[in-house]
Amino acid sequence: MLRGRHLIIWLVVGLVLAGGGLAACQVSVPGTATESHTAVPSQGGKLTFGLTLAPSGLDPHVDASSELGIPLTSVYDTLIYQSLDGRFVPGLAERWEVSEDGLVYTFYLRRNVAFHDGTPFNAEAVRFNLDRIANPETKSRKAKGMLGPYERTEVIDEYTVRIRLSTPYAPLLDSLSQVYLGMASPTAVQRWGVEYQLHQVGTGPFLFKEYVPNDHLTLVRNPAYAWGPEVYRHSGPAYLDEIVFRFYVDPSVRALALESGEADVMGELPPQDANRLKSDGRFVLYQVPVPGQPLQFFLNTTRPPTDDLRVRQALLYATDRQSIVRTIFQEFSPVAYGPLNSGTTGYSPNVVGRYEYDPGRAIALLEEAGWRDQDGDGIREKDGQPLTLQAYLMSWGYLPEVGQMLQAQFRSVGVRLELETVAFPAAVEAAGQGKHHLAPMTFSGSDPSVLNLTFLSANADGGFNWSKVRDAELDRLLTEGVQTLDPTRRAEIYAQAQTRIMDLALILPIREYVNLNAARASVRGLQYDRRGWFPWLYDVSLEP
Amino acid sequence: MLWGVATLVFVLMRLLPGDPATLMLSEGGGSATAVTELRAALGLDESLWVQYQRYLFRLIRGDLGTSLFTHRPVVVTIAEQLPSTIELALAAMGVAIVVGGSLGLLAALRQGTWVDALVTGLSVVGVSLPIYWSALLLIWVLSIWLGWLPATGQGGLAHLMMPALVLGFASSGVIARLVRASLLEVLSQDFMVTARAKGLGEGVLLLRHALKNALIPVITVIGLQFGFLLSGTVVTETIFSRQGIGRLLVQAILWKDFPLVQGIVLLAALVYTMMNLSVDIVYALLDPRIRYD
Repeated sequence: MLRGRHLIIWLVVGLVLAGGGLAACQVSVPGTATESHTAVPSQGGKLTFGLTLAPSGLDPHVDASSELGIPLTSVYDTLIYQSLDGRFVPGLAERWEVSEDGLVYTFYLRRNVAFHDGTPFNAEAVRFNLDRIANPETKSRKAKGMLGPYERTEVIDEYTVRIRLSTPYAPLLDSLSQVYLGMASPTAVQRWGVEYQLHQVGTGPFLFKEYVPNDHLTLVRNPAYAWGPEVYRHSGPAYLDEIVFRFYVDPSVRALALESGEADVMGELPPQDANRLKSDGRFVLYQVPVPGQPLQFFLNTTRPPTDDLRVRQALLYATDRQSIVRTIFQEFSPVAYGPLNSGTTGYSPNVVGRYEYDPGRAIALLEEAGWRDQDGDGIREKDGQPLTLQAYLMSWGYLPEVGQMLQAQFRSVGVRLELETVAFPAAVEAAGQGKHHLAPMTFSGSDPSVLNLTFLSANADGGFNWSKVRDAELDRLLTEGVQTLDPTRRAEIYAQAQTRIMDLALILPIREYVNLNAARASVRGLQYDRRGWFPWLYDVSLEP
Repeated sequence: MLWGVATLVFVLMRLLPGDPATLMLSEGGGSATAVTELRAALGLDESLWVQYQRYLFRLIRGDLGTSLFTHRPVVVTIAEQLPSTIELALAAMGVAIVVGGSLGLLAALRQGTWVDALVTGLSVVGVSLPIYWSALLLIWVLSIWLGWLPATGQGGLAHLMMPALVLGFASSGVIARLVRASLLEVLSQDFMVTARAKGLGEGVLLLRHALKNALIPVITVIGLQFGFLLSGTVVTETIFSRQGIGRLLVQAILWKDFPLVQGIVLLAALVYTMMNLSVDIVYALLDPRIRYD
């Protein structure tokens, strides 16, 4: 009986698919904040937001995933905020001062702010939070690194704190404006210990109601919220009554969950699904640029033959990035030319257009480096060794597909690329130990200091410097870049660093990361913060 | 036996490539110094022998340790996810037995007819269809197209139906074929001819004599299929966005969360042992001859 019904259903599905599938409707509204806001937003309602991976841990001070920041951005406030145009504006701190030497930051805190559990927000709370993050026993996976050379926090009076650093650290304001350094209630943290992640308490527009790992996370409106930063569009409490976050680990069901009405907003859609939803009037597609590093392959500078600059440059010229982006990412992503995405602070456009696809130039460079096809098999040789490269790939992020296209493109200039698709831990270990010629990795972040993780020579052993570069000039620029507070001078330094990275052909950049989200058309006021991952759900309302 | 499994999983997890501290920092980024510090904080810089001793010592006291990634006790993390997997596995088992059993019965009774051929064909399809594919198809039809059932998530019968159908259907093929073969064998036995000659009705004949005898090999396979179902929950839980131990295990392995993997594998070993034991007990209940052996 059941099987008979199955057969009929399959037949019908076949007919529907053959008939062209769902009808295409209107064109989408891309970007972050392009909707018209003539109508008064309606109050109330429940929003279901689809997250991608279920975070392993959810404490923003301890854990690291972007997925934890998506819900928690609505639970926590930060000392300062970063506007979409990159300015730092007051948050829980009304104003701040930085000492001449860049070692002391004084924050003047907003009064009459209370955590969701009634604990007053004050200087002591700030000290408690920052000390908690810096404490090695917290085993922080991200926030501690973001605090840089943090020494201590001094309470000057009830509403004034002073953060002391051991060396100047320009990314501090950027760090303090992120949810990973959000202000948590000291009372709740002390009360719950490791279980705090299930009972989080902030000062933000939504209260943390319930978290059932791998199933859902529920937030409800904070009726007392009256201290929203200027980056938000309205003041007072949020519009929505409740937000439920659910986890859609399998990319293929994300669009289905949206189409079946189970989710109102969905994160990280596969490009082919985004394409379909884009032309469906029931949904709005959000193409949110994510700052930080692009999808890039690190080229190992210590292992022959990629230790030869000419070979690395040849690989860059041999790569037709346009066709990779068009074929795999369906033109949702811009081609990447350097080590930073264009939305990142300090991004240098000087690298644009470098190493444009030019197979002729690739061949000339390989010939110059002594690689010639001597036996007519289509693969170049030198001293009897074929020009064979190894790439370690993870199975996500379309890396196997990108690898296959690279393989074909490299083959046409006489380079054999061997692809090893392995589990993430194995890929990380192989690249860490320098067994690769090409290894993909990317870190997001709005501050250019994200480059320090992957290009400082101190991180070549045991860190994430997977091109294994040890370049004194680059070290000098990156160190200076972190310590220079003047934004103009800092941008110059990082521009030089980006040029240097591409001069040395340390990476093969492929595409800038764009976070493809979609929402039902009834979802109004949705915009994402400057990091591209974190939605400001405070302003969201549901059209009846 | 549990000691053997505990040691094996300890060794295997360390043989697999990947350092947990580096992996933990790979999401947010970290310097080489941060990696070293975290490794020390997690006790991963100590010798394997020291780590193994500590692990066994804890295990003896019934302490499975703390997950590296969730920072919470392994027991609690597993206990949160387990009910969902048990619910799914049992429901799928029910589907497999009902669907597989009735199809097998039908095929045996209509041996050699088109019904038999259809059942055989369907059971091949059931065995060979990847869960991944049938799950997406079912979501498309029942949720998007007909709007009858929720596509993902959990809570209540409606959420359980599709995952249980997908997973149960995959197992029902094997059961159908086995019930058919076993039943045909029993039906051709002499005691069946005797029973029929005594004038017993077809219903009694089939249920009391034939089916009861035919079930013995089927029970063994159902026991084994339970293992298959548990492994099938990995994919099913992921696609249907359900909580569960299968999904947890995959996450734990991918992140090299040693304590969590060790805890789940030990639990699985325990479940298999219990399953074998209960199969033996059911044997004895069904067939008094086994009791006297």
